[in-house]
Parts: sequence; structure tokens; C-alpha cells
Amino acid sequence: MRQPAIEFAHVSKKFRLGENHDSLRDLLMSGVRRLAGRAATAPRNAFWALQDVDFSIPRGDAVGIIGPNGAGKSTILKLLSRILRPDQGSIIVRGRLAGLIEVGAGFHGDLTGRENVFLNGAILGMPRRDIRRKFDEIVAFAGLEAFLDMPVKRYSSGMYARLGFSIAVHVNAEVLLVDEVLSVGDAVFRLRCLDRMRKLVHDGTTLVFVTHDLDQMQSICSRTLVLNGGTIVYDGSPGDAVGRYLAAVSNSHAARSADIAPDAAAKLAPEITHFRLVDPAGAPAPWIRPREGIVVDLGFRLARPIARLVVEVNLRSAGGHAILSLNSGRDGRQFGACAGPNRILLRLKDLPLAGGEYFWNIRMWDEQTGTCELDTPYRYPMVINEEGRACGIVSVVREWSFVGPESFAQQTFRHAADEVGRSILHGRTAESGAPCESLPVR
Amino acid sequence: MRPVAVNPGFSELSRLAELLWSLTSRDVRVRYKHSALGVAWAVLLPLSMMLVFTFVFTRAVDVRSALAVDMPYPLYAYLGLAPWTFFAASLTGCVNSLVANRNLVTKVYFPREVFPLSCIAGAFFDFCIAMAVLAALMVYFQWTGEREFAAHPAVAFLPVVLAVQIAFTIGVGMLAAMANLFFRDVRQIVTVGIQLWMFVSGVVVPVPRDDSWLAWGIGINPMVPIIGAYRDCIVYGRLPEAVPFLYAAAAAALVLVFGWRWFRRASFRFAECI
Repeated sequence: MRQPAIEFAHVSKKFRLGENHDSLRDLLMSGVRRLAGRAATAPRNAFWALQDVDFSIPRGDAVGIIGPNGAGKSTILKLLSRILRPDQGSIIVRGRLAGLIEVGAGFHGDLTGRENVFLNGAILGMPRRDIRRKFDEIVAFAGLEAFLDMPVKRYSSGMYARLGFSIAVHVNAEVLLVDEVLSVGDAVFRLRCLDRMRKLVHDGTTLVFVTHDLDQMQSICSRTLVLNGGTIVYDGSPGDAVGRYLAAVSNSHAARSADIAPDAAAKLAPEITHFRLVDPAGAPAPWIRPREGIVVDLGFRLARPIARLVVEVNLRSAGGHAILSLNSGRDGRQFGACAGPNRILLRLKDLPLAGGEYFWNIRMWDEQTGTCELDTPYRYPMVINEEGRACGIVSVVREWSFVGPESFAQQTFRHAADEVGRSILHGRTAESGAPCESLPVR
Repeated sequence: MRPVAVNPGFSELSRLAELLWSLTSRDVRVRYKHSALGVAWAVLLPLSMMLVFTFVFTRAVDVRSALAVDMPYPLYAYLGLAPWTFFAASLTGCVNSLVANRNLVTKVYFPREVFPLSCIAGAFFDFCIAMAVLAALMVYFQWTGEREFAAHPAVAFLPVVLAVQIAFTIGVGMLAAMANLFFRDVRQIVTVGIQLWMFVSGVVVPVPRDDSWLAWGIGINPMVPIIGAYRDCIVYGRLPEAVPFLYAAAAAALVLVFGWRWFRRASFRFAECI
């Protein structure tokens, strides 16, 4: 049994809130105060960025770390790369480690791209001859052949990030730490980065990947840690982790907005008494099949009557993508809601979504005053159960058929395309009930 | 997959050497990149300092007799200024080295010693050029007949002098870099302090050698025998006086060990406190 690449054993890390002594004057002042017998500065509050975090990663695994801001993700990476030292617990990393905590950390603006490749390579621990050997590869990956002799201070931020990332993924590391760096660069480059990381993992690199992009995470990682408030709340498959993450995010969001909202407003705010998803027959739907359609049953209590109430429900995928925004006002419907309990039904005849977990939020406006009365986090889950489990977001009615060898298919394709075109012209879509026919095979 | 050492001591060292090289060449390149005269500044700076002090002490106020310098004053000044500039530039570089590389300190791990060491290495590069200029100066004074130079074996002692100076510089530099990280005042203090230090190190004016408290106080400054040793080896062709030089060597070793160890011990806190 090989030893794991990373052992992170019961690690806690504490940060001090507030300033350290940043100048001698502060130090002298506090010294004088202490001598004068007055209680020194108020006791420093310690903030535990990580508390008893414990995991180990076998060699060659790709592990994602997700969690709301301030959950301690970057702290873990910094501890792994020895930038920080834990207050409790122990950390063992076996193998050459390269940390990409920030793209292009260590670039010097006055130096050219070429010089910076060597500098940054050395900073990331790549021997000079390795850099020379891989130089062309690095530059080609970043796509910056034409700009090599330009000082990087004139690079655009995308070019900067591309070069930085390119160097990092060409370091011959056994353990690679990547922290939320793929948010820059265009879509093509992002895909190339993902491919490159997948290849590294395939070749045996251990990858620890911190990100807020849940799709990216799911496409690379085989295991995911969900962090919240400095502890691991989930450790397991990326798919399930996403739900935990969204719950954590919406809770922290709720906690944050609760801090902000003044008490008086909180008392007046509409209160959601129930949010149910039922099938068209009115029975509670534990999960939804894409074609069946659902009814959103929303109960809420108002502290005061609102003559022209506008209700909006929004839907997001577990990956955090906005999918739907349904606003009664935009549809020309305002409700005269009275003080006390009210109930609204929203019937969706078709919800063509791919299988997976989704989250609703609810917003309410008083149209007369224009004030937003309610804006909940995305905390109302919905599970779509689709046979065949497609990936992506949208589910369409489909049917596969095998036409035959290619030369043959050439002819029939034209025919098939005509057929499809005609059916669209005639409005024979799936919704109108006409089943898709198999394409005729000659 | 090949077995991996859990604690790779040697590879850490070789990595440190590579990094030191990279960071030093970065600093040197950046320093001369956008100046019209480029590396010529490494020559011009000590030369112009020499001219300034020569003007001040021989023209503006003529204190040549009081100075009691038995060699052409420009040569005396240059022989003090070249090693002193190496020391002073190292120190001012070191004191800011961690703070200036904040993004590296907080984003990438490698032995933190690299930052002050690369400043010293960069200053050493300039020092080497300055010493080449010294050779040219000596040829000039030989030619004008102001002073005769003969090849003598004491020059072979120069590497020892240099080693003592570098050891002392590293020790002080690490302490300064670390102190400045926790208290930014240190930088200002060093800027002022280094001016004062120059005048009590026998760089451009000889230090008093009597029984006054001032002379005694200056005597504990290890830079006095170090700077003096350059003149001894190069111009007078003799070994430096044993007791003061041994004292300087011992002090340098002590400061080096103490400074480096303290730096090591504190280095894990750098990323948090910077």
C-alpha cells in the first residue's frame, strides 16, 4: 500500500484579528501602557480559519475543495505549500509540490515574457534546464509566441494569466495545488487548461483544486471536500458535494443578509410559510420528471396588505447557473394580497431540464412603492429525475437512430434534414404531442 | 513512479541556488534595464562618490593634513567606498527585500533566506565591477607617479576579507529584513543609520585612534577593520592587523549565526505578518 501523497492530520489554523504592531510607535505605546499598569490593549481576538480539518489524499487523486468565501479553502492550500504553518496538527506532503495560489505571482513587470518564464519557473521550483527544454511548449500553450520580448507590464490581464498558468502546468510537479485561477482567460483557453489538468491527473499528478466554478470542479475532480466555517462538512463525490455547497452558501448568505437587515424591516417582511412542488394532479412530487410539468405552491404571510404584489421565482442549477426567471409583473399579473396568509400557485406546463438538483429562490415586490419586500437565498431544492440522465442543463425529446455507413448517410442526411425542416414548419414539435419518428432508412 | 524523499535536503539546496541565481539576475537586469547608461552605472556610482568626497575633503575644506592619509586621497576614498557601497547597498536592499516581494512571500513557498541573499548577490555584482575600476585607478596613479604599486602576496588574503564582510552583511541583512517586516520603521532607521555608520567606519575619513570614548566606541564596529583590511592588502601590501581583524571575523561569524537562525525561526510567521 503506497503512502498517500497528502496527509492533513487534525489541522487547525488561527489568525489574529486586528493589526499587529506595524510600527515601532505602536509597540512602544503598548509597552508604555503596560508599564503604566493600565490593562494593555483589548484581548486580541483569535479567528480560527481552520478547525480540526482532517483528510488524506492518495497519490494521483484529483480533489476539489469548494465552500463559501472565508471557509478556509485558500488557507488549506497555503498550509499545504508551507507558506503558513499550522497551529495544531501535522501536514505531510510527499513529492515535489507546485502551488498555483496566484497566477503570475513573481512576474516582474519590467522583464520580458521570455525572462519571466525563466524567473517564474525557478520560483515554482523548475530547474533551468527543464525550463529550457519545455520553453517552446510553455509559450505555445499560452499562445504568446508573438509577445515574448515585450515586458509583461504591457500584457493584458488575460495574457498575463495565460503565461502564468502555462508555466505552472508545465512544472513537473507530483502534487499540484491550483487556487481559483481559471476565472481569467477566454473560454478556449479555459478549456485547454482543464484538458491539461485532466491529462496531468491521468499521468499520476495529485491535484488539489480550489474553485467556485462547480462545473469545472465536477469535470476534473473525483472527490470533493466541502468546507464551511473552517471545517469539512462533506467529503465525497463531486455531484453530492455541490448540494452541500449550495446549502452552505445559502446559509452563509442568509446569515449575512440577516446581519444587514434592520429588525423593524425583518418583522414587516413577508414570511414564506410553505414552498411545495406538486404534480399537476396536486399530489406532492418528491421528484419531477421533465415532461410532466409541475405546480409551484407558495404560501406566505404578510404583515400588511399589498395591493399590487409582484412575485418572482428564479431557478438555478446545482452548478450555480441561472436558468429561469419568472416574474408575475413581467407577465402582467399583480396580486392584491391581504395581511395574513396568502397562497399563490404557479403552473409550469413543461420544465425541460436535465436530471439533477436545482434550487429556487423567491422575491417579492410592492409595485406601488417599488420596494423589494423579500429576496430569499436559493434554498428551495428541486430534484429532476430523468431517465438516461443527460448532462448539461436542458432536456429535449430525443430519439437516436443509426442510419448506416457514411457514404450512405450522406444522402439520407439531406433527406432527414428536409424532413426535420418540414416538421418544424408544420409545427409538429414534441410539445404538440406528435412523437418524433425514426428517420427513414433507405 | 520513483520513490520520493519526504525531506529532500539536497534538492532543497540546489533549488535555493537556482532561485538565488534567478532572483539576482532579475534584480540586476531590472536595475539597469531602463537606464540609458545601463551597467555603466555600477562604475559611475562609486567613481562619482569618490569625486564628491575628493572635492569635499581636498577642495571645499582642505583637511588633508588632518586626515593623515598617506596615499592619494581619491584612492583612499575609493578603497573605502567600494566595499562600503557593497555593504550599504546590500543592507538597504535586504531591509526592504521581504516587504518588496510581498506577493511572493504570501503566494509561493521557498526558503525565505533567498530574498536578502539575492539582494546581497546583486550588490556583489556591482562590487565586482567597482573593483575592476579600482584596477584602472591604480594603473592611473602608477602612471602619474603619485604612488608606486608592487605585486605582493598579501592580495591573496583579499578573499578572506571579502568572506568576513559577506558573512557580516548576511547576518545584519537578515536581521534588518526580518525586523522591517514586523516594524516598518526599521527601513527609515537603516537609511539614516547607514550614513552615520559610514563616517565611523573609516570609509572616507580615518577613524580616531586615541583613548577617547569615541575611539573606543568606534572600535567595536567590525566594519573598521574590514574596510581597513582592503587598503592593507591592496595598497600597503601587508596583512591586516591581527587582533582587530580577528575580532571582526568573530563578530561577523556571531552575527551571521545569530541572524540566520533567528530568521529561520521566525520565517514561518512572515506570510502572516507581512
